Amino acid sequence: MASIPSKLYSDDVSLLMLLLDTNPFLWTGANTTTTSLPFPGFLTHVLSFLNSILLLNQLNQVVVIATGVNSCDYIYDSSSSLQKTADSSENGRMPILCSRLLSKLEEFVIEDERLSKDDSPEGIVSSLLSGSLSLALCYIQRVFRSGPLHPQPRILCLQGSPDGPEQYVAIMNAIFSAQRSMVPIDSCVIGAQHSAFLQQASYITGGVYLKPQLPDGLFQYLSTVFATDLLSRNFLRLPKPVGVDFRASCFCHKKTIDMGYICSVCLSIFCKHHKKCSTCGSVFGQALGDTSSTDRKRKTPET
Amino acid sequence: MPQVKIIAKNFMDMVAALPALKLDMLYDNGFICEAVLRSLPPLAKKYVLQMLYIDNSIPAKSMEEWVLAEGLSKHKNAIDRLTQLRVFLETVDRKKETSYILNPKFQSNLRKYLMYGGVSPREPMPSSVTVRLPSLEDLEAYALEQWESFLLQLISPSQADKPTNFSSSVMKVFQRGLLSQRDKEAPRLTEKGFQFLLMDTNAQLWYIIREYISNSEDRGVDSADLISFLLELSFHVAGEAYNLNTLTEVQRNTFKDLADLGLVKLQQGRKESWFIPTKLATNLSVSLSDSSSRKQGFVVVETNFRTYAYSSSKLHCEILRLFSRVEYQLPNLIVGAITKESLYSAFQNGISSEQIISFLQQNAHPRVAERTPSVPENVTDQIRLWETDLNRVEMTPAHLYDEFPSKDVFEAACDYARDNGGLLWDDSKRMRLVVKAEIHMQMREYLRRQKQ
Repeated sequence: MASIPSKLYSDDVSLLMLLLDTNPFLWTGANTTTTSLPFPGFLTHVLSFLNSILLLNQLNQVVVIATGVNSCDYIYDSSSSLQKTADSSENGRMPILCSRLLSKLEEFVIEDERLSKDDSPEGIVSSLLSGSLSLALCYIQRVFRSGPLHPQPRILCLQGSPDGPEQYVAIMNAIFSAQRSMVPIDSCVIGAQHSAFLQQASYITGGVYLKPQLPDGLFQYLSTVFATDLLSRNFLRLPKPVGVDFRASCFCHKKTIDMGYICSVCLSIFCKHHKKCSTCGSVFGQALGDTSSTDRKRKTPET
Repeated sequence: MPQVKIIAKNFMDMVAALPALKLDMLYDNGFICEAVLRSLPPLAKKYVLQMLYIDNSIPAKSMEEWVLAEGLSKHKNAIDRLTQLRVFLETVDRKKETSYILNPKFQSNLRKYLMYGGVSPREPMPSSVTVRLPSLEDLEAYALEQWESFLLQLISPSQADKPTNFSSSVMKVFQRGLLSQRDKEAPRLTEKGFQFLLMDTNAQLWYIIREYISNSEDRGVDSADLISFLLELSFHVAGEAYNLNTLTEVQRNTFKDLADLGLVKLQQGRKESWFIPTKLATNLSVSLSDSSSRKQGFVVVETNFRTYAYSSSKLHCEILRLFSRVEYQLPNLIVGAITKESLYSAFQNGISSEQIISFLQQNAHPRVAERTPSVPENVTDQIRLWETDLNRVEMTPAHLYDEFPSKDVFEAACDYARDNGGLLWDDSKRMRLVVKAEIHMQMREYLRRQKQ
């Protein structure tokens, strides 16, 4: 017998956690390819997208988390802004959602810059995706615990900067906890290259991974694919994963590797042989493989 | 609860039934577009969003490619709804290919929404003018009280404490279908009336509003105006005060009725007067798609068939009395028992076991609502069993055939009826058979052909 009380919310009420990549290295420096769109243009698309989610259902909720290089923070929450509409509507011309989000975003970017260390970075620095994923999951857990009535949550990563292999463990942990709480992670990659982390995240949690061909039409991608509520996903043809990069990062040097050594006790991954596992402390036997390495490889590449 | 859904949807059917010209006029108002969009099934909403920035028409064929095979029925349903409401305009080109385009007015209004976000239809009045506004809790209590006294007056006019503003003719309209009155007898609730009482508040509200609107032409109010006004009302913020002077004369008159329903609270200041929408009003457009109200339940059902209802409301007591024996009433508690006799009288009045069960489940006290099942299984099973007890005899309109000329003809006729799924009974010894009334004509045709 279907329990009626649990169905008090209709199926398409959703809570969207949007992770916004604010990496300055992505938006200014190396990102000079002609097809990609500048940050203001990007924001316009995103703001319209947020409005469209709120338009679809009165009970829909969006939360925006900014992912910086050194920190991440909540910058907009549609549920909390409802009460304070009166004081912010004074400045008139700008819509409330935009003005609130933009001012918080500015604060965040300044704060993020202040936190950065002085040593000059080499190339593009990755942004703190693991942190913002954790923030999103915390928020979702709070919503889950708030009572039997809650919207269906999902996470959307708008990511442009390359993966940071040093975040591998944290990100994988976040992915698996999202999988356990049945929260799909959608990813829309706006950078130049594919993101192996996000491919895995969407693959494992049953979300959609998409790298738009034409970043100028970002809104159309967002509204066509990522605005779909979880119920309708059962009926619609959405982009399927073409290929997922399952490569892992080693725990010792944080490098992405094709082949490596795995601790037989805790499954930690290492790029070369160690005497002792740095995670669980198990002592490994003699590395026979050092001398006759070809048939001793512990992890074979997927071909 | 299927009943609820039908009624909630019916309101949008009513909008869809408006003539095209009026419907297009309604879409001039951005709030109507918003409300209509929100009332659509999820897939249809998705399509609208997808089409929002596409100016060309899209062939129906390529739209079908958007969905998986499992979703085709949902897709058809969504497209039907969209064309009914004239959100999608259908065009057929020379090759007889159908294609759809978004209603331009609808499109431009929603585009505006995406740019500027949701805005309130009116600016709330500054708090310097409206000195003391009721708190949200007070407002909700007020709304519920108004609504319940209205319902009580609706179902048993003699018990109502305070009369409402509605003229008796309007009240009659509401009662039409819910109450039946034989000459000189006290009015009795009809089957529909009982079902109405068991629905949740939002569904009831929509029912009443539907009746109110369909009656509006008699009062000289344009129904399209009223619909747009009511939908607009639901976009105001509950608990804020809005100036009455911004309304037209007709709208102000409507407000007096709405205040009686508990949708708005009217207040009079020193100079100005204003209205404060309540939760009931702001939930109007939500409940179009989401028929459930999110109020707390109050009933505890025990495995020994006793019910404890933590409520002081007369209305709740009346509703419980429909299917249970109320034993005693304390200031905040109504204790009753579900008995065979009480249920039989409910069934006689046309209430089904499913309705009773879903009422008990939807109104389960928060303490028991967490448990599954919220109503003990032995009670729900027994309620269903008692209902099936009454339905031992099933009636099917049928026709009897006899005096067949030969055994062969008889058996061929039997086979024919069986193949068409209409054979109910046959007696080969005396060559008689009974078929369902639906296939009677076919059967007669068949026998006539056999004769030739």
